[in-house]
Amino acid sequence: MRRFLVFGLVFGVLLLAAAAPAPAQDTLKIGAPQPMSGPDAPFGDKFKKAYGMAVEEINAKGGVNGKKIEVIIDDHQAKNALAATVAEKLITQTKVLVLTGGRASGQAVEIASVAQRLKTPYVVDHPSADIITAKGFEWVFRNNPTGSIYPQAFNKFISEVPGAMPKSAAVVYDNSVFGKTISNSVMTFLKSKNVPIVNDEAYPVNSLDFKPLMTKVKANNPDFLLMVAVATTDAILLTKHAKEIGVAPRAFVGFGGGFGVEDLAKELGPQSQNVFSSAAWSGNPNDPTVKEFYKKFHDKYGIWPKEHEVEGYSIVFVIADALRRAQLTGNVDADREAIRQSLLKTDMTTVFGKVKFGNWSGPLGDKYTNQNIYSADHSVLAQWLDGKLMNVWPKSNAETNYVFPDNTVKR
Amino acid sequence: METLLQSIVSGVLTGSLYAMIGVGLTVVFGVMRIINLAHGDLVMLGMYGAFWAHVLWRVDPFVSIVLWVPLMFLGGMVVYRFLLRAIIPGGELNTLLYTAGLSLLIANLALFTWTGDYRTIKLPYAVTPLRPFGIAVPIPLAIAFALAILITLALYVFLARTDVGRAIRATSQNPEAAALMGIDVERISMVTFGLGAALAGASGVLLGPSLYLYPTVGEILIAKCFVIVVLGGLGSVVGAIAGGLLLGLVESLGAVYVSVAYKDTIGFVIFLLVLRFRPSGLFGVGKS
Amino acid sequence: MTRAAAAAGVLLLMLAPPLLTGNQFFLHLGITVLLWTLLGVAWNLLGGFAGQVSFGHAAFFGVGAYTTMILYLKGGLAPWYGMILGGLVAVLVSLPIGLICFRLRGPYFSLSTLAVAEIVRLVALNWEGLTDGPVGLLITTLPQVSLGGRAVNWESKVPFYYIIATLAALAMAATWRLSRARLGAYLLAIREDEDAAEAVGIDTVRAKVVTLALSAFFTGLGGGFYGLYYRYVDPDAVFPIALSVEMVFIAVVGGLATVVGPVIGAVFLTTIGELFRERFLVGHLIFYGLFMMLAIRYLPEGIWGGARRAWTGRR
Repeated sequence: MRRFLVFGLVFGVLLLAAAAPAPAQDTLKIGAPQPMSGPDAPFGDKFKKAYGMAVEEINAKGGVNGKKIEVIIDDHQAKNALAATVAEKLITQTKVLVLTGGRASGQAVEIASVAQRLKTPYVVDHPSADIITAKGFEWVFRNNPTGSIYPQAFNKFISEVPGAMPKSAAVVYDNSVFGKTISNSVMTFLKSKNVPIVNDEAYPVNSLDFKPLMTKVKANNPDFLLMVAVATTDAILLTKHAKEIGVAPRAFVGFGGGFGVEDLAKELGPQSQNVFSSAAWSGNPNDPTVKEFYKKFHDKYGIWPKEHEVEGYSIVFVIADALRRAQLTGNVDADREAIRQSLLKTDMTTVFGKVKFGNWSGPLGDKYTNQNIYSADHSVLAQWLDGKLMNVWPKSNAETNYVFPDNTVKR
Repeated sequence: METLLQSIVSGVLTGSLYAMIGVGLTVVFGVMRIINLAHGDLVMLGMYGAFWAHVLWRVDPFVSIVLWVPLMFLGGMVVYRFLLRAIIPGGELNTLLYTAGLSLLIANLALFTWTGDYRTIKLPYAVTPLRPFGIAVPIPLAIAFALAILITLALYVFLARTDVGRAIRATSQNPEAAALMGIDVERISMVTFGLGAALAGASGVLLGPSLYLYPTVGEILIAKCFVIVVLGGLGSVVGAIAGGLLLGLVESLGAVYVSVAYKDTIGFVIFLLVLRFRPSGLFGVGKS
Repeated sequence: MTRAAAAAGVLLLMLAPPLLTGNQFFLHLGITVLLWTLLGVAWNLLGGFAGQVSFGHAAFFGVGAYTTMILYLKGGLAPWYGMILGGLVAVLVSLPIGLICFRLRGPYFSLSTLAVAEIVRLVALNWEGLTDGPVGLLITTLPQVSLGGRAVNWESKVPFYYIIATLAALAMAATWRLSRARLGAYLLAIREDEDAAEAVGIDTVRAKVVTLALSAFFTGLGGGFYGLYYRYVDPDAVFPIALSVEMVFIAVVGGLATVVGPVIGAVFLTTIGELFRERFLVGHLIFYGLFMMLAIRYLPEGIWGGARRAWTGRR
């Protein structure tokens, strides 16, 4: 009996602590399910910073048609079922007008499915699985490129630079939607150019040891080593272990967010030298708005933004633009439809690049709905040179000359 | 040939670290039948210990082991005395879930205080590996390997030659008899849990420079740890070492000669096969 | 008589919410609670009554979910039939698992089930021809059905609520029935002392395999329902170790080897999870961990077990 009382008491106190009233405000609400705990927590934090800065800027200029906007983040812990719950809650309880966020593809598919059913626009900022905009969901929009578009800049590079066409390639990728999609896309292209694939290896996400994998790769002595990693940790260890084991290709090429973040150079030091990154976005530094954004973000948070921050920051502007053009009445259902209609007419430029949603076919034949039609233009090939990620291809976006073949390895 | 040698070397190096994590878990299990699900998180604490020592005080992470091992030992004893002791009469399942709660608590406190950022320990001597006979041996991993052997030897001497060590082994074999022989089982349990935590901390410090750190890294470690410990036989130190090396080798050779995607599957299948023929593990003692 | 009344009361409580509230989110939480209840009850059959602590029930859940999705997406079979087949396929999968793992006892059994579940997960992840691998399977529309002349509205939560409430009630009824049957007595004997049970002539392996099959069936049904309700299944969502542990935790927090325990466990854990997440964006799992520890520290027999003891103690 006493134990039961003690438990009840403690439980009651915990409940009281938890049940605090939410402040009611008359704002235009944007919901963002993100992983704030669990293994993906660092990414949730990146987006939180990015949204925060965008919201502050927009509100400082008077908000949208006189109303302030607000991004409400809720934690889905990188779990699909919880992502559905969170999306459901943001839509029916918090009554947000529009959703964004999601971070990983599995959770984003679940959010897209809920948004479609509950007729709420979901503007995707980062999740890249093709399936999200390839299922005919008319309530789902995506600003960032799909996974199968990621390798476009790399494909251009090897086709256009004389002598760069690989004689053979080893492809290693994580066993996730992201890894599968990208490796599939790049291998389809390589095969069409008759490049032999000497390794085709899927590894589990968050591996602790890539030395065996790289030993296997080394035995085949590939001309190019292509590495796909959704997790930064995997990107770092793949590069590190490849170099330690002594794989000696003409180029190390990384695909995926992990290869484009500052951590790679910070953690790997000289081992990051000359590693290519073919990513969804690397920013055109010749563009003054990009420069300004970099500086603002660094002044505010003390870190240099990359792909994730840019995506999160830009999406708030895309949404604010749609809100501004929509005739909002205060009736949530009607407003969501109005916002969807105005998203269909979006035609603007953000730091991330041009945005216009449309229906078209991807490189692997997926039929996209409301996918940014400028997606392919975003793809840039960059290279780590002395600790800095510099755009090297296409020529129009290049900051410096590429270093190819890799001069840090002995062949 | 070089490929084969390289995979064996990698397998043994990684396996030795697996073994060290496993030893801590198995010692604790042997004495008090606790499967400590928070063991991976204690390893994580060790990794962060090495990291902060390096970043804040510019101490070589491997040197910091002399600080963290005693601290983790004390911490382990405190956790046992004030948190775990009251749970043990509730049975194995309750203690296991209790440690699962503890694991969530530790990992998320770490997430809260240190954020989820990925960190690595950057050592100047870690950039280029040694290459004896053309085989790559990363220096931090080689140091960790040597220290792991030293620590295991020390543990062996401790268990075989000291009174407390003998008492631990006695309790592990038969707690009732040990109590009858005048061994204070409570005290021995406390010391053993401290020892388990210290070993977890030590393996964390050793792993730190070769891996990356983030607060929930324990999750990945603990699953491997179980396979190792059960493979070797719960409660058996020699078994945990054998299990660790075996798993390291299987993963390494499996990845090279079969398929990276299925290397974990191979590990689990071997695990089941061993249990099929030796239901209490390779070096298991007592009935299963 | 009082038992019948109590059973009717519980049933009414389970069926009432859709009549009381039109709030879709509360119904969604209700569905979550009932799904967890079903899983907790199913796990409890084997773990609570027979004392065989499995850490691999996610395997049955995942197999049920995938069977349902594959049959619908690739074979056109409506998911509610698929769900039942999902349960049956889970039973099929459970048989070899039982034969391998039941040779082992105690922690060896628990950890071998964990290993088997991981193998099943890795197979599902890599067998792309069947499962589409990590990309997962997504249902965009459910087939039209009419019930009593009216088309069922799949956009509403109510039909889902009644489906899962029925399943959970069935599982509870099965548990209740089992606890009074001869098999229940066998299981009790096995839990208390397996060697003694064998010595008095109980076919322990058979008793355990039958219980595992029943447990797997309900878990597979739960998986099928997950596919039907969430409409998207990928290996990380339906096969993780965390899912197996959560099932154990629900049964233990509610009360091992009780019929009602898992309902209470599921209600508590879902509420706690939601409340803390709402309040503390980053640190909420700290409190969840604390809650786990407190619950086990102060109520080792579970909430229902503890409440029952407190009640009888007072009389």
